[in-house]
Amino acid sequence: MDDIAVRFEHVSMAFPGVLANDDVSLDIRRGEVFALVGENGAGKSTLMNVLYGIHAPTDGRVFINGRELTDHSPKAAIGLGVGMVHQHFMLVPSFTVAQNIVLSREPRRGRVFFDNAAARRKTLALAEEYGLEVDPDAAVEELSVGLQQRVEILKTLYRGAEILILDEPTAVLTPQETEELFAVIRRVVREKRMTVVIITHKLYEVLAISDRVGVMRKGALVGVRDTAQVDEQTLASMMVGRPMLYDKLEKTGTPGEVMIEVKDLTVRDNRGLVAVDKLSLSVRAGEVLGIAAVEGNGQSELLEAVTGMRKAESGAVTICGHDATGLDPGAIRALGLAHVPEDRLSTGVSRDATVTDNLLTGRHREKRFNRFGFHQRTSTIERYAREIYEKFDIRGSGTDVPVGDLSGGNMQKVVIAREFSFDSPVLVVAQPTRGVDVGAIEFIHRQIIDRRNQGCAILLCSADLDEVFRLSDRIVTLYEGKITGEFTGEFSKDEIGLCMTGGQRDKEAAS
Amino acid sequence: MKKKRDWGYLGSLCISVLLAFVIGAVILAVAGFSPVKAYAAMASGAFSSARHIGDFLEYAMVLCLTGLACVLGSRVGIFNVGGEGQLLLGAVVGCQVGVWLNGQSPWLAIPAAALAAMAVGAFYALIPGWLKVKVKVNEVITTIMLNTIAASLCQYLAKGPWKNPNKNMVAATAQLDPRYWFKTLIPGSNLSTAIIAAAVVTFLTWYVMQKTSTGYEMKLTGQNPRFAFFSGIKTDRIVLACMCISGAMCGLVGMFRVYGAEHLYRSSVSNQYYFEGLTVAMIARYDPVTVIGLSFLFAILKIGAQGMELSAGVPNQIYLIIQTVVIFCMAAESGVFASLRAGAQRKKARADIRRKEEESHV
Repeated sequence: MDDIAVRFEHVSMAFPGVLANDDVSLDIRRGEVFALVGENGAGKSTLMNVLYGIHAPTDGRVFINGRELTDHSPKAAIGLGVGMVHQHFMLVPSFTVAQNIVLSREPRRGRVFFDNAAARRKTLALAEEYGLEVDPDAAVEELSVGLQQRVEILKTLYRGAEILILDEPTAVLTPQETEELFAVIRRVVREKRMTVVIITHKLYEVLAISDRVGVMRKGALVGVRDTAQVDEQTLASMMVGRPMLYDKLEKTGTPGEVMIEVKDLTVRDNRGLVAVDKLSLSVRAGEVLGIAAVEGNGQSELLEAVTGMRKAESGAVTICGHDATGLDPGAIRALGLAHVPEDRLSTGVSRDATVTDNLLTGRHREKRFNRFGFHQRTSTIERYAREIYEKFDIRGSGTDVPVGDLSGGNMQKVVIAREFSFDSPVLVVAQPTRGVDVGAIEFIHRQIIDRRNQGCAILLCSADLDEVFRLSDRIVTLYEGKITGEFTGEFSKDEIGLCMTGGQRDKEAAS
Repeated sequence: MKKKRDWGYLGSLCISVLLAFVIGAVILAVAGFSPVKAYAAMASGAFSSARHIGDFLEYAMVLCLTGLACVLGSRVGIFNVGGEGQLLLGAVVGCQVGVWLNGQSPWLAIPAAALAAMAVGAFYALIPGWLKVKVKVNEVITTIMLNTIAASLCQYLAKGPWKNPNKNMVAATAQLDPRYWFKTLIPGSNLSTAIIAAAVVTFLTWYVMQKTSTGYEMKLTGQNPRFAFFSGIKTDRIVLACMCISGAMCGLVGMFRVYGAEHLYRSSVSNQYYFEGLTVAMIARYDPVTVIGLSFLFAILKIGAQGMELSAGVPNQIYLIIQTVVIFCMAAESGVFASLRAGAQRKKARADIRRKEEESHV
């Protein structure tokens, strides 16, 4: 057991309604770079959070350097030599680099006063030792993301980490910064015999940096391979897996006119980076266009730009033949679009408002709900809400309770019910079944296909690939804001998986 | 859309008020006063004469309107702390319009003054509203700072350009033509016909907030602005409109104070009255009907405490103590309930996991 840095023994982790880790057993060797890959929600981060002591596993045991992690807290895990760099950095923006690094274990003068000079000295020594150059006096908020990440790594090293967990470290980095990070990883592994676990979506990175790779799907570890013996193709098919067995959905009719047209659209994300890059696509009436992409490749920004939630930088969006570029969501809805947003809690519902109020939004100005155009007809509204509530089989304690009291699946049904009942010619649907139980998934899928068969143009985006495969007539893959492939009819899932992870793009560049 | 009264809230409000009186009694006793006599003096201070009843009704009107102005802002997610400045500006401008129109018919002068007061209050609330909507500047900070500016500006106007011609009057504008005064309803008290106008405004505010589709849009905007925007509501416009109406109401209160009680502008038209209204709104949890009810309660306490000071020699600060303890208890109550609820939820989640685990082992 001496060269085993981390051992998971039958670890399971259940959250209310979800089994995030399902009986995972895994050994990670000392001095190796171990990559953990899988789709969103496959349970990678959960497993690492168990290792870092954030979650106490519902079942199973975790050993770090041969010692069992019994007290499940980050403090205990850090004590056993684990360090974790989260996707969202945990730094104090206004503090200097040195202050951030020594935080929680500050050098003191006379046991009371913070010793800034010692903090600087220690930072410089540490930076020297690991070859991670930083300016100890710079305020963290002024550093680039890549340097902030470096500060995070130094922080874990300062606390004596021998096992370093990096949760999607390259998601926020430029290609050059990624290269630098990889150089750092190789150095600490070679020279300090550290163990690095890296969570990622990008398969070529796995091949570039790791010694071994573990693939997770739906909470379970489906395989561990030596990186030298796999290629992107194999990993992609392991990740995607076999499709779940559902009843076949009957699709009828032929596609009609173009209802959604996106032309040369460029959109920036919240950080000001280009998220959607001169992208063009179109969706016809009676057609479902599915977007397959790993999270963070511009699909959210694309959908937000089409629906008016985000301003596009350039390019044009046409909905039902009308120019919709730069309009607000209200105006775009008036053109005939309804929208199921990807995040139901922040965008799809008002948690404190009643189910009735949530079902009514968007049509509350309709004549039938208002006397004299302004006085709400409470009883008509309540009757309408109850009707929709029953039609969409929403289960809860009635229409009078706040939506926040419903379960996730039923909350999603409220969103679906409201948006689908507009009978709009265009639907934009993001993550329709995220966190929804199997029965409800089937129901929601049927609703989507019903609308399609009635001639609605549907733009669908989901992190669940099986869902995209099942519902779409046509699939485009997005990678770093660009379309990397388009698939109709019979297509190979492995090929789609490859395009999603930038595989094809690299090949194209090579040829 | 909720019809049931929130009994838990009413219960804890009653307990809080009772507790406040008990604590007030302890403090009175410690300070060497008889609590029984003091509270008796308080009751008679509010109810013993028609004049006192008139005074507390007038003060209830002020609390109710300012409280509703605050509720209006909070309904769309804005905490308008700047009502005091909006009120003062409304008072001074409303008054000066009356002075300028001296000699005209009251039917012209009073509506003109009301409109001017509302306009200036609305404009003064629009500034922080616009900053909030367009540049995301925190409205609490801007409104607080604008209060100071408004108070100083009003002082300047009352001492400078709009000064009372009488040399003995410092920091006051000229007195209004008595024809413009709101008719006093109870002689000797501050109560005037302004309370009728106030009742109309109160009703309208309540009606718009609770019964119309505009009120519905306001509510959604305040609860989750992103959701409201997503579902097609023009959230920026609604926030600005609410801020303006809130400011206009405060301006109108200032004008009511001048035309109903003071008859000229001086700083006593408002002694931090907006903040007392805001307190009432907070205790009422921004529910308009509760604001109306609580306005009366706190007006009785305040006027009663003044009477108590005169007749029993007890400092009227006891009113502030009682008010503060009520706030304190109400805040603690929601905290206690929240932590109880969170504990129950955690317990339930743990039980769920255990049950799932057992099922998966079967």
